[in-house]
Amino acid sequence: MTLILRRWWPLPALILLLIFPLVFAEPYYHLLGFNVFLFATMATGWNIMGGYAGYRSLGHSAFYGLGAYAAAIAANQLGWNPLISSPILALGVAVFAMLLGWAMLRATGAAFVIASIAMLLIVRLLANNFENITGGAPGLSLPIPPWPPMLSRLPFYYYMLGVLIVAIIVSGFLRRSRFGLGLLAIRDDEGKAEMVGVNTTLYKILAFGISAYFVALGGGVWAYAQTHISPPFAFGITVGVQLILYTMLGGSGTVWGPTLGAFILVPLSDLILFQFGGSPIHLAVLGAVMMAIILFMPRGIIPSIRGWQEARAAPRATHTGALSMEDLQRMQGGKTEGGSPSEAAAAEHERP
Amino acid sequence: MSKILEIDRVTHSFGGIVAVQDCSLSLERGKITGLIGPNGSGKTTLFNLITGVHTAHSGQIRLMGRSVNNLRPSQICAQGICRTFQITRLFWEMSVLENMIVPIRHVGLRALFGASIYSDEADRAMRLLERVGLDHLRDQPARRLSFGQQKLLELAAVLMSGPDLVLLDEPASGVNPTMIRFIMNLIRNLNSEGVSFFIVEHNMHFVMELCDYVYVLDQGVEIANGTPEIIQSNPAVLEVYLGN
Repeated sequence: MTLILRRWWPLPALILLLIFPLVFAEPYYHLLGFNVFLFATMATGWNIMGGYAGYRSLGHSAFYGLGAYAAAIAANQLGWNPLISSPILALGVAVFAMLLGWAMLRATGAAFVIASIAMLLIVRLLANNFENITGGAPGLSLPIPPWPPMLSRLPFYYYMLGVLIVAIIVSGFLRRSRFGLGLLAIRDDEGKAEMVGVNTTLYKILAFGISAYFVALGGGVWAYAQTHISPPFAFGITVGVQLILYTMLGGSGTVWGPTLGAFILVPLSDLILFQFGGSPIHLAVLGAVMMAIILFMPRGIIPSIRGWQEARAAPRATHTGALSMEDLQRMQGGKTEGGSPSEAAAAEHERP
Repeated sequence: MSKILEIDRVTHSFGGIVAVQDCSLSLERGKITGLIGPNGSGKTTLFNLITGVHTAHSGQIRLMGRSVNNLRPSQICAQGICRTFQITRLFWEMSVLENMIVPIRHVGLRALFGASIYSDEADRAMRLLERVGLDHLRDQPARRLSFGQQKLLELAAVLMSGPDLVLLDEPASGVNPTMIRFIMNLIRNLNSEGVSFFIVEHNMHFVMELCDYVYVLDQGVEIANGTPEIIQSNPAVLEVYLGN
């Protein structure tokens, strides 16, 4: 039973999420659900670069804003519906991200983080100043969605849920692929990874592009749901910080961590916002949560739970001392027999 | 006998310090070649030049006749040169088996986006792990292994890419005598299967017993080369090691 649940739990969870907006029919809940899925999707994207490869970009809002502006401009100039155009336009943003990455990913560690912030500030500056394309500081308005107002946010809710599922599948697929293994190798020791044959530049650029894709897609859908975008919101640094916060809470480098983090923290920050009104206190609470995570659960919820389970399952298997006598005997066996140590050990075993 | 690696008048300096100067040496295919010299004589720098960590300021490095001067480390690895490090470097958070899988050559879409571990590759990895006596630890994270086990894993993992030439940077340092004997046997067996070795080592017994040919570096300059017997009685080498 627990085994079935362990493997198939996403299915009942999905059914619950499909029913949820029908039970809680208030438009607010639809918007909340949409926001949760939106941030879970984008955090999942961020995690591919920040969690798997270990390159923690603070500037991913750049792709969020680019996705938003691309969707808005395409909707206004060409009449493309953002729900249809966003997945395609996000491809363009991903290509753009890879070009940027080609230059940026020569920097590592703190230098990369600073480069990522610079990237965000530059695109924001561009959005502010190319007034005839972006509308400058006042921003751009998008067409109102064509469906009846009765439906309110419901289409956004289901659309974003679908995108989230795709993001999780892609992320899980990458995690299990050779490519994902290469990214984890880069996170552990980039120099060594390069030395054993991983083309680290190619891997990082690809990961950066895939990572940017989901953030840009989220930005496009967000712009449509918002119906108005402007540089401070589309290119604000807080979106990027939120993505990191959610990912770190759930577990950086895990498939489900970013989603778990968003499912906990997005409703929580709304709740705090209701409690204390529009004052910046909710940001202070988020800051406190972030500090608590770093202090008590630096690896996030999922890795911490896994660690506890491992420690409970095999408390004695964690012996880290020198080679055991048994190992040494096996090796000596290997020497005298001339065969492999394990063969020698097996031969030893069969002797009466 | 064909040459597997030729280093032709290579020079490299860090700022004002010349680490390797006008160094020429060549390795026979299928042999075990040693590289000795006092600390700071440029041995590791030479390894870094061969594997593409540094690019030589002048001179040529050729693997089987092809220049590898301007290739990146991953390309050089794909050409068939792999190495281990003086201070063991593994992917610490990964399992033993995953450490074995990462070095498998990455070519084409199947390698990039296929499953991370194919069963034939896992079998090959397990056979190698058995040889070094680590097969029972396949799912343990690399950081949990003992020092000696880590050294063995690093060597085994490097072999997964199917190298023609393996560079070992001090394989016997910090290892107990039993293990040293085990590593020597392993190297000998691998060598008889066709892998060439280039070994930096301070343990003279290890070098003299194992190597077919030895080069001696001092302050970035090659001062002697020859079979172990010749090197052991070479006055210049004795002077470097023992002083006048």
